[in-house]
Amino acid sequence: MKLIERFFNTTRKHFDAGGRFEKYYPVFESIESVFFGAPRVTQTAPNIRDSLDVKRYMALVIVALLPHYAFGVYNVGYQSHLASGLSTALLPVLFTGLKAVVPVVVVVYAVGFFWESLFAVVRKHEISEGLFVSCALFPLTLPPTIPLWQAAIGISFGIVIGKEIFGGTGRNFLNPALTGRAFLYFAYPVQNSGDAVWTLLTGSQTVPVDGFTGATPLSVAAVTERFGDIHQALADAGYTPLKLLLGTYPGSVGGTVTILSVVGALFLIILGIANYRIIVGCVLGMLLTALLVNLLASESSIPYMHLSPLYHLMVGGALFGFVYMATDPVSAAHMQGARWVFGFGCGALTVLIRVFNPAFPEGAGLAILFMNLFAPLLDRIEIKLRIKKRVPNVG
Amino acid sequence: MNELRIKRGYSLNLVGAPSPDLEQLNRPDRVAVLPERIPFIKPRLKVAVEDTVKVGSVLFIDKRRPEITFLSPGGGKIAEINFGPRRVIREIVVALDEKEAFEPFPKLDGTEIDSIERLDLITTIINGGMWPLIRELPYRDIARPEAMPPAILVGMDAKEPFLANPESYLKGNVDLFRSGLRILRRLAGENSVHLFTSPRQDYVRQTLGSDITCLVSGPYPADDPGVMLYHTKTSSSENRAWFVQGQDVLMLARLFAFGRYPTERVVAVGGSAADRPRHFRTRLGVPLIHLAPEVKHNGDVRYTAGGLFRGYAIPSSSYLGIYETALNLVPEGNVPGELLGLFRPGPRKPTFSRAFTSRVHRRALTVDCNVHGGDRACIACGYCTYVCPVDILPQFTYKALYAGEVEEALSHGLLDCVECGLCSFVCPSKIDLYETFKQAKADVYLEQLRA
Repeated sequence: MKLIERFFNTTRKHFDAGGRFEKYYPVFESIESVFFGAPRVTQTAPNIRDSLDVKRYMALVIVALLPHYAFGVYNVGYQSHLASGLSTALLPVLFTGLKAVVPVVVVVYAVGFFWESLFAVVRKHEISEGLFVSCALFPLTLPPTIPLWQAAIGISFGIVIGKEIFGGTGRNFLNPALTGRAFLYFAYPVQNSGDAVWTLLTGSQTVPVDGFTGATPLSVAAVTERFGDIHQALADAGYTPLKLLLGTYPGSVGGTVTILSVVGALFLIILGIANYRIIVGCVLGMLLTALLVNLLASESSIPYMHLSPLYHLMVGGALFGFVYMATDPVSAAHMQGARWVFGFGCGALTVLIRVFNPAFPEGAGLAILFMNLFAPLLDRIEIKLRIKKRVPNVG
Repeated sequence: MNELRIKRGYSLNLVGAPSPDLEQLNRPDRVAVLPERIPFIKPRLKVAVEDTVKVGSVLFIDKRRPEITFLSPGGGKIAEINFGPRRVIREIVVALDEKEAFEPFPKLDGTEIDSIERLDLITTIINGGMWPLIRELPYRDIARPEAMPPAILVGMDAKEPFLANPESYLKGNVDLFRSGLRILRRLAGENSVHLFTSPRQDYVRQTLGSDITCLVSGPYPADDPGVMLYHTKTSSSENRAWFVQGQDVLMLARLFAFGRYPTERVVAVGGSAADRPRHFRTRLGVPLIHLAPEVKHNGDVRYTAGGLFRGYAIPSSSYLGIYETALNLVPEGNVPGELLGLFRPGPRKPTFSRAFTSRVHRRALTVDCNVHGGDRACIACGYCTYVCPVDILPQFTYKALYAGEVEEALSHGLLDCVECGLCSFVCPSKIDLYETFKQAKADVYLEQLRA
């Protein structure tokens, strides 16, 4: 402990004003402040300040994501071994999973940190912790087969175009992680969509073993031709409600595990980090829209219209998106009422995109990005209404 | 009696609350006036070092309104006049004589107060040096004597950590306080004087009874007159209500009752570093070191004149200003945080958020003046909107000001801001919302004065 303190004390002089690496102070500061809070005191009233800072705020989101990583590592390995016909004992599975997930995470963090440092050094501000959350979210949304160079390009696009060019964390209007994910989806569809990408093959295997289909529940739902019997089609493919909750099926690295998203949602809501209005709004929007679609469905309409609302909530990464992406405070609506509408829109659009646009099996990401664009408008409407109620006091 | 419940705000549970005991302090050697700490005034000195002054002699006037005078809180010699940067007058220090001389002022009893012309009453208050204690919302400048106030608000509570509790200055002075209210009622003319307190102020409720017009409950800053006004006003004509601090009503009454410039002050000394947190009966403009000769902390200690939210840091060699009724001593906090404090549960960290375990129990906490974080852009967490007692949307108002849109900020209710400092306190991005709003309000005001 003394050692760490001494290390920072001896290296600080190189980064302080006049030091050799003065320019790179933001990098030093971001590392030091993880270990020790700065001795900076208030210069103006109020004399005292809350113990919470953005660093802890964002660190708590990362803590909520750790179980998703644990699950992701296991599931990637498990699916890989199933498809490759290997044993599904825990240790080898975890090893395969780590081999697939860790390099992606390392690359994403390295590239993301590089961009944020670059902008922080040029703009002479401290490194904002929003980056670490974006970099934690991004790999969880990727297919396990993602080439590392694509992961690097994706996070670069997300951080630079989605955030930095607007001024960095707090000034962006789109969720950076989702921006990067959407970019990959449209720029490299071969590696980012279809049935094949969601399962990593291990060893000498180049095609999955017989009996293994890489079809995700979303693609099953989208392409099934068994009119009016979509739940049976899902069950035949092995997708029981329990399996959908547990998320042990081919999919993005950490987004499929609905049950952990529920736990994460509770964690973040109890700690006051995520706003419950957005999450509940999303869920309500999804359930009600799916119900409406159910009611409109007839014998001859596409089978997807018959998918029950609860299934919509369980399949794929919708809840993951609602809990961790839609609640990004910067890109979501900021007003309490607008947050309900924003959430509702995310949920509703997810269902509409899923059901009526077979080109996009998972609609949650695009729905959230779409609602990000409308968030400022929703806020503006609510603020206007609110101001009308005030007794004017304009000097 | 009306009742009002304020929902938004936040009360911290901190160690070092001053005990209600009232202790009489010895007479200090020196007292001072701090012109720098009286907002908006442009002081012009009327005395020089070595001059002899009586209690109630004119020390300086306000150039903007030369009739408004600021009087000496002590009799003796002017020992020092200290200037700050750009020749701002910091302190006018009076070394007290063994036996102080007093300027005489007219004495008025209750019936005389009721029969005197309102304008003559105002002149008497101004000449007695008490006018600066009457202030005008929303800018909190000294009230305009020629204006007719839409209401006069008197708050009898102390929610900010830590201010002098009304009970300690009211005890034994209830009749005096009533005659002070009588003066205010004359000043208000046709309009009313609103005396408000918290339902928990049992002593105030029992002794003042029917004089109380409103019971205001809720967290800090529910005791602020601006909060009360915001929640009761029905038209914009009420925006410029006047307000007087509870203890200042007593000062006003003393001027009329004794015909002397009143110099008595009850001051609360609190905070975790205060050696003896309690109330003291002492003089106006008392030296801080006289109030708190010792501190209870190993590192640096911040002396705060006023509460921890709105008060200002001041060297321990200085004096208490005319508006201040409290001295708070807390650790400066200019030391690095604990190792990996970022990841600790934080059972002793004061916070509004729910991100520390300190929120689950009711233990009193120690607070210091560390910022607890680096400057970041607003991440729209919305905490400031949860605590703002007058329903401003601080984050949006701040962004409007940041973009130079003063008109928009005004429409958001910038002028309703009661300058409680809670928005700055809760902000995890450590944005100086309070300072920005205060400055913006002052700019609007100065612009108006020029026009």
